[in-house]
Amino acid sequence: MTDPVLVIGAGVAGMTAAVELADNGVKTILIDRKSTIGGNALELYKAFPTDDCFYCFEGNRWRPGIRKCFYRSAMVDQPNIDLKTDTRVKGISGTPGKFSVILDLGPQYVDPKRCTLCGLCTNVSEAFLLASPQCQPQAVSYDPEKTDDGAKKAEDECPTQAINLSAIQTEETVTVSDIVIATGYHEMKPSVVDEYGYGKLPNVITQLELAQMLDPNGESAGALVRPSDGAQVKNVMMIQCVGSRDENYYPFCSKICCVFALKHANIISSERNDSRVSVVYMDIRTYDQHERYYRETRDAGVEFVRGRVSRVESQKDGTLDVHVYDSLLNRYLKFTVDLLVLSSALEPPEAADELLSSLGLNSASGYVGPADPISENEVVAGEHVYACGGALGPAEVPESVNQARAVVSKILQGRK
Amino acid sequence: MTETEEKTGPPVTLIDPIDMTKLDPKFRNDISSMPNGEELSACFACSTCTAACPIANQWDYMPHQLIRMILLGMRDEVLSSKEIWECLTCFQCQERCPQKVRVTDIFFDCKNLAAEEGHVPENVLALGKTLVDKGQLYEVINDWEREDLDLEPEVPGLSIEGIQSILKSTRTGKLVEDGE
Repeated sequence: MTDPVLVIGAGVAGMTAAVELADNGVKTILIDRKSTIGGNALELYKAFPTDDCFYCFEGNRWRPGIRKCFYRSAMVDQPNIDLKTDTRVKGISGTPGKFSVILDLGPQYVDPKRCTLCGLCTNVSEAFLLASPQCQPQAVSYDPEKTDDGAKKAEDECPTQAINLSAIQTEETVTVSDIVIATGYHEMKPSVVDEYGYGKLPNVITQLELAQMLDPNGESAGALVRPSDGAQVKNVMMIQCVGSRDENYYPFCSKICCVFALKHANIISSERNDSRVSVVYMDIRTYDQHERYYRETRDAGVEFVRGRVSRVESQKDGTLDVHVYDSLLNRYLKFTVDLLVLSSALEPPEAADELLSSLGLNSASGYVGPADPISENEVVAGEHVYACGGALGPAEVPESVNQARAVVSKILQGRK
Repeated sequence: MTETEEKTGPPVTLIDPIDMTKLDPKFRNDISSMPNGEELSACFACSTCTAACPIANQWDYMPHQLIRMILLGMRDEVLSSKEIWECLTCFQCQERCPQKVRVTDIFFDCKNLAAEEGHVPENVLALGKTLVDKGQLYEVINDWEREDLDLEPEVPGLSIEGIQSILKSTRTGKLVEDGE
């Protein structure tokens, strides 16, 4: 009996790897530190390059049923996948091919197999939250830090008795043959780049925060409003390369932020008619097939200003005055905007360092580096250790899927 | 973050930025709705046009900057610029543009708009007046040159009356009249 494979991180890459391994008869343990799987892609609203909801990721496309079910049928019904949410890696020992991994399983306050998303608990208590109607597993999540009087009532009255507020953290040790690192990336909170006022001025946000604002399932139901006072946003400015390509923060190009800025600019100018978008950039880097986003955005009337921001000033009426140096015109421009969106650097996720050192892997600016930098096997991080998707550096959905499949192919070859 | 009421104004600088709210955001639509302006918004400011231009080093605004100014809505600056009139119309910018922006033709559109608003430089108006008055820009006055070449004194087939009357009854005539 062969040991299962451990996939760390249930984002696009991790889910694809898990589904395809499971479909090939390999037992797979898929863990995620959050209670809802999906990773960064869950928060993208529309994912490029297809502008679909990302749930229809490639590995699931052939599955029968309606689109949302492609995804659910794999994660929940595929018997070879053992999905563990709220779970972190505590320690790794053993030898390649026979790793012993200690998993820290968070308290399971809500049993996803019982939760029916009836909404009773979210109505009586602030501590319960439905992350997204499409969340997986299909269950509400409970935040003990927000607990209130209603929480107990929810536990008592839950029609399916899915809630257990006295659940405790547990530990489990698993033996696995291979480890797949699919821990993704994290969007830097750019408060350190203080000229933009992020963290001080409420109307300065990041691209991922904008994506959530644009999402019809989000708090504002897709309306573009100022965080400071809820007023309708008429003018949006985006600033590229905030913390990326900057030796003071992250020297590398975050690669996908140009395309998501353009995607958002497109959505705003084509679906939010009264809003005007300006993009301040150094270079627009639409790699691979994505040049069309740039072209479409220009056609849609989005204003591109090559240059950098001199300063951002908050005005009494809630707008921001942004002074920009236009390097093509060699002039300074003053814009008045409602929302300033920073395309912030994509950094390695928290605890990436620990994982790298506990497995003795190479680091590539904090992301997982290939075991052999000269070979073309970028997904091979070590002996029986693989990485795919954002864990290797900022990556788009199709790229994450391709890398996940490469990992699966390597593991299957190793088992022959 | 200070708790006091004291207002600290923005830092003093010598920079006097162009206030975007004072510009005309419709200007780009005015130009792109003209026959040559279809691809205007495709410009990504690579400055190939400026690289191709044989005289741009004499200008305050380079060709790519003029297109930027149109896109930003700097209507007055573009329509009163000397550059659109000094363009040699060699079409090299338009030939080379990687996004098929009809740069030279867009400058023609700008000249037409400028003329409608009365922004025609003196020297161009003077040329127009010469055309309306004389039906030609270059009169043959040194008869001896033709004589030396054994040519008859009059240029054969030269008809200036037709030209004169067409120009007089079209916009050139009107511009010259208004200019006087």
